[in-house]
Amino acid sequence: MPSHGRTGARSRRGWSHQRSAVASLVLCGPAVVLYAGFIVLPAALGFGYSFTDWTGWSKRPHFVGLDNFRELVADARFFDAIRFTLFETVLIGLFFTFASMLLAIALDKLSVMKGLIRGLFFYPYILSILVSALLFQYLANYREGAINTLFRAVGLDALAQDWMGDPHLVPYFIFALVAWSGLGFFTTLYLASLQTIPTDLYEAARIDGAGAVSVFRHIQFPMLLPTLTTNSVLALITGINLFPQIVVTTQGGPGYRTFTIGYYIYHLGVLNNRQGYAAAVSFITFAALVVIAGIQVALLRRRQVSL
Amino acid sequence: MNAASKKRCRVPVLEILLLLAGILFISPCFLAVLNSFKTRAEIIQAPLALPQAPTFDNYVYLFTGVKLARPMFNSLLMCVAVIASLIITAPMAAYSLTRRPMATGRLLRLFFLAGLTIPFQIIMVPLLQQFRMLGIQFTYGALLIHYVSWGLPLCIFIYSGFLSGIPKELEESAAIDGCGAVSTFWRIVFPLLMPCTITVTIFWGLWIWNDFMQAFIIMGPRSQLVFVQLWRFLSDKYVKNWNHIFAGVVVLSMPVTVFYLLMQRRFVKGLTAGAIK
Repeated sequence: MPSHGRTGARSRRGWSHQRSAVASLVLCGPAVVLYAGFIVLPAALGFGYSFTDWTGWSKRPHFVGLDNFRELVADARFFDAIRFTLFETVLIGLFFTFASMLLAIALDKLSVMKGLIRGLFFYPYILSILVSALLFQYLANYREGAINTLFRAVGLDALAQDWMGDPHLVPYFIFALVAWSGLGFFTTLYLASLQTIPTDLYEAARIDGAGAVSVFRHIQFPMLLPTLTTNSVLALITGINLFPQIVVTTQGGPGYRTFTIGYYIYHLGVLNNRQGYAAAVSFITFAALVVIAGIQVALLRRRQVSL
Repeated sequence: MNAASKKRCRVPVLEILLLLAGILFISPCFLAVLNSFKTRAEIIQAPLALPQAPTFDNYVYLFTGVKLARPMFNSLLMCVAVIASLIITAPMAAYSLTRRPMATGRLLRLFFLAGLTIPFQIIMVPLLQQFRMLGIQFTYGALLIHYVSWGLPLCIFIYSGFLSGIPKELEESAAIDGCGAVSTFWRIVFPLLMPCTITVTIFWGLWIWNDFMQAFIIMGPRSQLVFVQLWRFLSDKYVKNWNHIFAGVVVLSMPVTVFYLLMQRRFVKGLTAGAIK
């Protein structure tokens, strides 16, 4: 009898164990299959293709070893794309890290119309990139755009510029477009962490006679440092991956002036059937992004600890 | 007391300044609405003036000439399908990963987390190849599969963060009552995840409605989704018909704007929750 009881218990345990395995499969299965099949597998294939001369459509890619990477080192257009992407990334990074911080501090001080004013700044973020790109293309159009029409109307014809066609101005056009759509988002992240600062800190500072500048230096800035890390990394990713904005505005032009790395990969892989080489470019970029972001986080974290 | 009374009486200078700055900031949007009621010639002549004789022709053209009604319906359907798939698969997986403190669970979590860093450019062409091999290239099915798999890492990340804050006692008592893991999840846990589900719905609903790049690359010109159609319609023309562009921009941003006005707080929360990757 007791032995029978023991076997019963064991078999029940075995059964429940099996049942939990089935449950895991049911719960995890769909997500694992989709993710492994349509994100991980293509990424792995892409990595494999970076060692081939695959056109993207030809049946058989040929293994070419490190040829793509060798070509990359001597590819002037690739380095131009890197230079332009880094230029935009620095502008975008500085703007989203610091301008949005100042705006957040100002918005945090509001006592009336808080929701309305914050809502105004956040609004562009919910619009499609295509919408913001079209609005900016209209504003910046040389012959018909609002900015130049305005300048001409008040007699400042000299200030009317070809904002999208002039190689010296177009980088700032792209920057303005990205800055406009993202400002509200980055500001909101700062605002959220400003609201976690306890009010007694401000009270104490006021009693000590601290002005706005020293409140910023000694209370707000240190408290915002973790968000600064987040925001600067997010801005870095935004900058390095700059791509749809280019497709819908300049398409890399004038000439090759606004080729970002993302656009160059698209240009090679989708428009010019050089998928093997495009894969090599994207993996090198990806590796560089991971390294830069890692260094950035490490540096900023160290700063946080020392405070 | 002195300071307090001073604070009460002060003119809200900061508020007024920031309000003006905010209005100036989104003035391109006002300009779009204003100009959508003008003819092309009038827009170019007087971009900032009120329309002389407001016309609805641009809007009529969108629904008769460009036929935007069907793409709008398609996009809405796509949003619903993707969100439904995500809020079924992602929380189930997240639950399974967080509630089983096994080494495999942790490993799987890292595996999904890695997906947050993969950029679209890396997977796009191999993905097209895969869809071709499956015989579903350039179909809505392929796009749906892509959107769901693309959304999974972030959703699982959001859900598992939320799940680790939910006490296990409820589930344990359900298990004692003989409830299996799957039904415990659906009956007990899923309802508790509502705030997360709302976040996911807002984030991906907006993202998919607004997307044109990935839809165009995965489905090509066959994609009858709103922003793809608007883009194709616009890129066909050498001369830009600003009047149609503005009407299109206004119509396609309208649903998003209405939702935003109705639930601004949830929107902002939902969109920034996806940020802490």
